[in-house]
Amino acid sequence: MQPYQEEYIANLREIARLTARKKASGQSFDAFLSELALDGEAARRIACRNNDLLREKLFPMLDHLPQATVEDLQDLQVFAGELMTWGKELDTGLFCQIHQALLNLARLNKDRNSMIRELYWLGMGYNSLYNKTIGLEVPGAEKYTSQMRLCFAEAAAYLKYFDEIPDTDTRGYILRSRANMSLGTFKTASEKIRLVKQTLQILQDADYRQTEPDLPWDRYLSMTHQQMAASISHSREQSMSPEDITDVMESVYIVYNTQFQEAAARGEQPPVRYAFPYNAIEYYCGLITLDTLLTRLEDLMDHADSTDYSANGMYALVSLPAFYCQYLQEYPDLVPRRTEYIASLYEKILQYVDAFPGTEKSEHLFLYLRQLSVTFLETDNSISYSTFMQKLMIRFAPETYIHSRIVAMAATAFCDMILEEDPSFFDDMEEVRYILDMSEKRHLLLDYAMESGTLHDVGKLNFMNLYSQTGRQWFKEEYEMAQLHTAVGNSYLSSRFSTRPYAAVAHGHHTWYDASRGYPESYKRLECPYRQMVDVIGLVDWLENVTNTAQLRIGVDKTFEDAIADAIALEGKRFSPLLTARLRDSQVAERLRQAFDAGFQDACRHLYEDAV
Amino acid sequence: MANSEINQKQYHNPTSLTEQSMGKDIGEDSTGCLERIRLLEQQNAALEEALQEARDANQAKSQFLSSMSHDIRTPMNAIVGMVSIALSHIDEKPRVQDCLGKIQTASAHLMSLVNDVLDMSRIDSGRMSLREEAFSLADLVHDISVVVRPQAVQRNHNLQMEIGTILQENLVGDVLRLRQILVNIIGNAVKYTPDGGEIRVRLSQCPVPAEFPMAGSPASIRESLVPGSEPVLLEFQCSDNGIGMSREFLDRIFEPFERVHSAATSKIEGTGLGMSIVKNLVDRMGGRIQVESREGEGSRFDIAIPLATAPQDAKSLNLPTGQTVLVAESLEEPAGQMAAILQDGGLQPLRMQAGLDAVTWLTEAQYENHMPCALLLGQELEDMSVLELARHVRQLAGMDFPILLVSEADWAQIEFQASRAGVNAFVPCPLFQSRLLGTLADLTSHRHQDTGSPEDMEADYSGCHILLVEDNALNQEIALELLSVTGANVQVADDGAQAVELFAASPEGYFDLIFMDVQMPVMDGYEATRQIRAMPRQDARDIWIVAMTANAFVEDIRLSQKAGMNEHFSKPLDPGHLREILHRQLRN
Repeated sequence: MQPYQEEYIANLREIARLTARKKASGQSFDAFLSELALDGEAARRIACRNNDLLREKLFPMLDHLPQATVEDLQDLQVFAGELMTWGKELDTGLFCQIHQALLNLARLNKDRNSMIRELYWLGMGYNSLYNKTIGLEVPGAEKYTSQMRLCFAEAAAYLKYFDEIPDTDTRGYILRSRANMSLGTFKTASEKIRLVKQTLQILQDADYRQTEPDLPWDRYLSMTHQQMAASISHSREQSMSPEDITDVMESVYIVYNTQFQEAAARGEQPPVRYAFPYNAIEYYCGLITLDTLLTRLEDLMDHADSTDYSANGMYALVSLPAFYCQYLQEYPDLVPRRTEYIASLYEKILQYVDAFPGTEKSEHLFLYLRQLSVTFLETDNSISYSTFMQKLMIRFAPETYIHSRIVAMAATAFCDMILEEDPSFFDDMEEVRYILDMSEKRHLLLDYAMESGTLHDVGKLNFMNLYSQTGRQWFKEEYEMAQLHTAVGNSYLSSRFSTRPYAAVAHGHHTWYDASRGYPESYKRLECPYRQMVDVIGLVDWLENVTNTAQLRIGVDKTFEDAIADAIALEGKRFSPLLTARLRDSQVAERLRQAFDAGFQDACRHLYEDAV
Repeated sequence: MANSEINQKQYHNPTSLTEQSMGKDIGEDSTGCLERIRLLEQQNAALEEALQEARDANQAKSQFLSSMSHDIRTPMNAIVGMVSIALSHIDEKPRVQDCLGKIQTASAHLMSLVNDVLDMSRIDSGRMSLREEAFSLADLVHDISVVVRPQAVQRNHNLQMEIGTILQENLVGDVLRLRQILVNIIGNAVKYTPDGGEIRVRLSQCPVPAEFPMAGSPASIRESLVPGSEPVLLEFQCSDNGIGMSREFLDRIFEPFERVHSAATSKIEGTGLGMSIVKNLVDRMGGRIQVESREGEGSRFDIAIPLATAPQDAKSLNLPTGQTVLVAESLEEPAGQMAAILQDGGLQPLRMQAGLDAVTWLTEAQYENHMPCALLLGQELEDMSVLELARHVRQLAGMDFPILLVSEADWAQIEFQASRAGVNAFVPCPLFQSRLLGTLADLTSHRHQDTGSPEDMEADYSGCHILLVEDNALNQEIALELLSVTGANVQVADDGAQAVELFAASPEGYFDLIFMDVQMPVMDGYEATRQIRAMPRQDARDIWIVAMTANAFVEDIRLSQKAGMNEHFSKPLDPGHLREILHRQLRN
């Protein structure tokens, strides 16, 4: 790698360290606050340095890529490889940019082998982007799956010319691309199983093996069987044909037996991640009932070591409960006699997360927790969904949490000021419209403002790397992806009873008042029963973003006074004139500024309490 | 009608009969007396009948007035109410916009009511005359689709518009009245079908059968024929699974002011004149209309109208006959229709239902050097959106590979996304042979006129002037190579200052497009753009300037926009994206 590339990588690692959750062992709140501020500032400074490195070194090189030397290109590939390694994403956005540029170059030069390699790596980059949208049916998310598959499909198409391609590496990329075509979710389990089965047939074909004996065929085969076994996790009973079940069962047994033998040789139990499909396939075959399967899963979860922070431990303690809850979501009649168990399960998970050492594996842990957040089951006994999501924000996205609490406090203060002048301002909300007691009404409204403000950006959790660990400014594609957070937030909050009322705020807080711009298109202001509150959160969120958090990501940085003036200038376009009219009052603006400061203190206090 | 005339005469002169009877009453024998009594009774009955008809007519008039006053009052109430709401929320722009939108809808409805009444009046007074003008059936169907499809979407209906055998697309007739007939029938299906319904419209042609009952009309049609051309019978069918009609109502469906009355229809607006107008228009065109319906199950209208045909466009299509066209469509019917049209044009359709299969096949075709002459994208694929496939194929197959999109969507709404994804051309649904083959011929003509391999062939932008601002010699060379084959005249500036000089020295409107590098010695792209935009000439404000840089941060894009550039083009050059920009900016 070139020196600037090494510096960039080191900077990313430092930013990840600075922005990670802090332990406040024996620290006072003031000292904690001071460290938080210093680390935040340091992270911002390093990210600015990274912007400069890319602008001064990488971008000019990409500008002149056709004349780059072979060494330059090799360095670039190594650099890209460091940005996204297996299980660790340092900078997926830049990884994709570099491989897209290298693919364009390969197409320009009609260099087949490079094209195949770059298609594979670009597909891997898209796979990482796809992973951020797993489990969510939000418009716009499916394009990452398509882009990933198209790259793999094009590279895999060269399988037809396997004999004509003399390069072992390229042949390996073709086979891996062929296998990766089945990554991600499909409309039906059968589609996925059909693709994996075809790959298995290719990998077992003697002609291919003889043509290129140097490739690690058995490893490819084993990984593909694992892929087939894992497809049971994503499949529902109804969407698999008997033939599909047979195919999966075969792979499950192969994988389980292999793992069982390997574990026995080590004197250990086989990993839980392979025990789950082994049990699940028996349920899909009708050998056991769902109740029995759930009992077996409970047994696996109960016997998991809560101090095991390896991939297997994380799977057993976080991912398996997610699958467990998914079954219960689909069969709610099995829930009532498990409510206490579910409550204790969530408690155990939170304790595990709390004790989890701040290592690089936390990204892996977060992936499983996100899975859990999608299948989260609310019962009378268990922790509320809102609390669970706030804990995730505090733990994995502290910057987003701070922003959210500032918005919540400022929105609450703003609502209070509005209510003083106009008690019926928020009467579009059915929950408060008919309340005559002003004190009760105010109390309810301010609670709503606080809770919806805190949860309005909960969708950002899916794009944690984009928000909390940004090591540079965003690219256009990242900005587009980040925009999905409103739809994701809406999807999260609207699917749980306790958070349903706040979904509208998460959904609509980036739309423009006159609907001329903003996102997502699915939010229709005039149809929203909480539109005045959505307008309030939208305005306060924007004020906080442009004065604080957006600087790093999109290069916008305003003073509070300028932000107020700009908001007024956007009156009737981006912001409700009923709100901006109030910003003209300097006292209102000053009270808002104070609420921003108080919100920051409040958020940091929560982080501190979590850290001690 | 005859009875009605007699009764009217009797009604208007009732005393003559009475006086005659009374005068002859004296001195007559009993037989004669009985005869007169019988006559008198008959006359009284006739009088009563006439009186009843007069009462009915009066009642119909009253009902019409009542109905009209209700129907006019309903949209008027909406207009008045919405104006009032808008005034009371004048500071809330979206609310006012919402009100204005509703006022617009109500006004349009009001206008259609008045038009219906005027049409009916014209028909009644015999003042309705039909025009004879040449028109394109494809244009007519497209116009109808633009009107009815949004209404169907609003009601969540599945509106399928199918085109059967078409003998001749260029026809002669009163296209406005034809449109009125078809929009009325489909509009009724939309209105009288509960939300989420199924509406199927089918249009086809056949030769006018000898036994076709409207013998007079085809004669006049034949007079307007060019020698050698035959009239055609345009057959239109519209079926729905809506509320349907009772047998009793079916008997009166074509009478003025008749409407289905039920709880389900109480909120549906209309005068009850539409079907009567349709029937009159179809009759006057020498056609026939038939309706079948069952209450609660749906309705089906069949209309057949003989029409003269206009001469074919003499220009023959320059299609790459014998070549393959890759059709990407998972829906059976549209795929079959596309294939049939392509085969008629002498092309070889090859259908793929999944995007991954299409990409696999194209990769192999490219490797084996037998690329198809175009990719025809339908509406759906099994595994991804058609635009995602287009985006990838544009990169895979290069900038000159024709990609056509066949879609029911309104092109104005999807153009930005589709052209960004690399789609060259759009063909609207329902699909007509002339549209599809014409567009395909336009896109492929440059390719198969050329003798080189498909990769060497480009769209022709000769006569266009491009200013390429790039300091790096190799980048200049690559860009020039890509641009030169398009036929465009490309001038190169080595830095921003040279670009400003070249632009200032050029005649107004000379340059059509500028590709501007950002980081350059002497003067960077931002400053050069600012200086060009500040020049006191119209083209300095209008010229499309594309930033050409690897600087891909959101802030970089904003900075280039702030400097006055119109869009951002990432390096290294992506031929597909370049193709898209040239097509978008230079095609006209």
